[in-house]
Amino acid sequence: MISKELKQVILKELKLDDFDIQDETTADQIPGWDSLNHLNVILAVEKFFDVRFSNKEILRLQDIGELQKLVDSKLAGK
Amino acid sequence: MFDYTKILELLKFNADDPLFFNSSLFLFLFVGFLLFYSLISHKKIFRVASLLLFSFYFYYRSGGIYVLLLLLCSLLSYTTGILIFRSPAEWKKKVFMILGILANLSVLFYFKYTNFFIEVYGNFSGKSLQPMDIILPIGISFFTFKALSYIIDVYLEKIDAEYNILDFTLYISFFANLLAGPIDRAGQFIKQIKQDFVLTESYIGRATFLIMSGLIKKDVIADYIGLNFVDRVFDDPLRFTGVENLMAVYAYALRIYCDFSGYSDLAIGIALLLGFRLMDNFNSPYKAQSVAEFWRRWHISLSSWLQDYLFKPMQMSMRRMRIFGNALAVLITFLVCGLWHGASWTFIAWGGIHGLLMAVSMFTKPVRDYFYNKTGLGKLRIVGVMRTVITFHLIAFAWVIFSASSFEKAIDVYSQIFVFFHSEVFMQFVTAMPQIVILIALGYLMHFAPARLEQKCIELVTASPIVVKALILAIVIWTAAQVRSADLQPFIYFQF
Repeated sequence: MISKELKQVILKELKLDDFDIQDETTADQIPGWDSLNHLNVILAVEKFFDVRFSNKEILRLQDIGELQKLVDSKLAGK
Repeated sequence: MFDYTKILELLKFNADDPLFFNSSLFLFLFVGFLLFYSLISHKKIFRVASLLLFSFYFYYRSGGIYVLLLLLCSLLSYTTGILIFRSPAEWKKKVFMILGILANLSVLFYFKYTNFFIEVYGNFSGKSLQPMDIILPIGISFFTFKALSYIIDVYLEKIDAEYNILDFTLYISFFANLLAGPIDRAGQFIKQIKQDFVLTESYIGRATFLIMSGLIKKDVIADYIGLNFVDRVFDDPLRFTGVENLMAVYAYALRIYCDFSGYSDLAIGIALLLGFRLMDNFNSPYKAQSVAEFWRRWHISLSSWLQDYLFKPMQMSMRRMRIFGNALAVLITFLVCGLWHGASWTFIAWGGIHGLLMAVSMFTKPVRDYFYNKTGLGKLRIVGVMRTVITFHLIAFAWVIFSASSFEKAIDVYSQIFVFFHSEVFMQFVTAMPQIVILIALGYLMHFAPARLEQKCIELVTASPIVVKALILAIVIWTAAQVRSADLQPFIYFQF
């Protein structure tokens, strides 16, 4: 389940009013989330939650559900 | 008395006569194999074994002894995948991944780039160095890239390692995409090997359409305009006016598209008849409204490979540099893309031009977006058309460097277009070469036709009875054979 905070960070970074983001939603399904904007979204998520991802952790992500799990695991380890 | 030696001679390795999908020998062998395959395909082990045998024979026929290199690459990547997967420690996984990547890249570099770097070193040091006697194994850039994507995906835990050695070797060596792609991913392909064999009406219809489309693109359009027009102009641009050079630039853009996407259509169609769905490789690339969009439509299996395994890791490593990191990552990715196409400065320059265009576009995007939003011009259809026209010309003019044997030749083409145009020659050109003009017009018309038209054609072919399908296919094969020149022209992408 995607948290309200994560959804808001993504929508704000991509300048979207609203978009239905589910666990299985992939980046390319969200308007504006292209390979170049990918960097901005990741940086925004890291900044908002005050966490740091390794390159491998980011590269292995396949959908937003996995990004949520990664954020949760980082927050739990704090 | 029947002369068997002639048949054996025909079936033996012949580097000068690779087994092209559009050759009569391939057609004969493939139809025979398909009949046999349909009898044994219900049992997985027979299906995989027969595909492996046919694939290795297919490679031997064009690559000879290098078939052992293909086997070595498969075994090496198979072992690396398992070592990464079974290692409990992260550092061990990383070490095995790096070793697997280095092993595959060493093979690729040795065969493809040794002589280029000897030449570069010779030029810089002023020494006269002899090139080494190295023959490039056909398709090496494609099968090593398949192996690399597998190794990295296992490391990133996107997929599990494959323990069935036959399934894995088939992924690396499957003949339909072995010599010039599409560069399929292990996750998608190996899954299909393990599934039961299915050959639906829709597969047959789509395969028939793709094979017809591939033959028309390659034999009727690409080879005809290439041999009879483009090569003549590009071989000696100064003998022709700017009009002919400009027409040759347009014709080359069409030729390389028809040549390579025609090959991909044949590969995807052939694979479908065997029950495999390969990656899409082209999506009307010249309809793109930006260079970045062009790369989402052109050679998709390579551009997505470069994006996933080169651009993204660099981008993430440099993410604190924000847009500058993005620009640098794009530039490096496209220089590598150029070098992947061939060991020559012209290919590197071509890649560099694409990288620069995209980097510039990144920096100017906020200004352009602001302008389009403020003026409302972004919503106008005519602006979209203008973007497509500009993007097409940028790409077509960059192809000149890609196709040229030297920078001097490319400069000759540009200089003839910009300083020796002579527009009055255009009508003479049309009357002197009507077939060329008609084929170029027809080729672009097909390319820019709405996608739903192609879908409609596929549905029509699928719905037609098998006899009609066979008849249409026979007519296309006959037409292609009539147009085809005496010597089959190699697919341009085979040299990469």
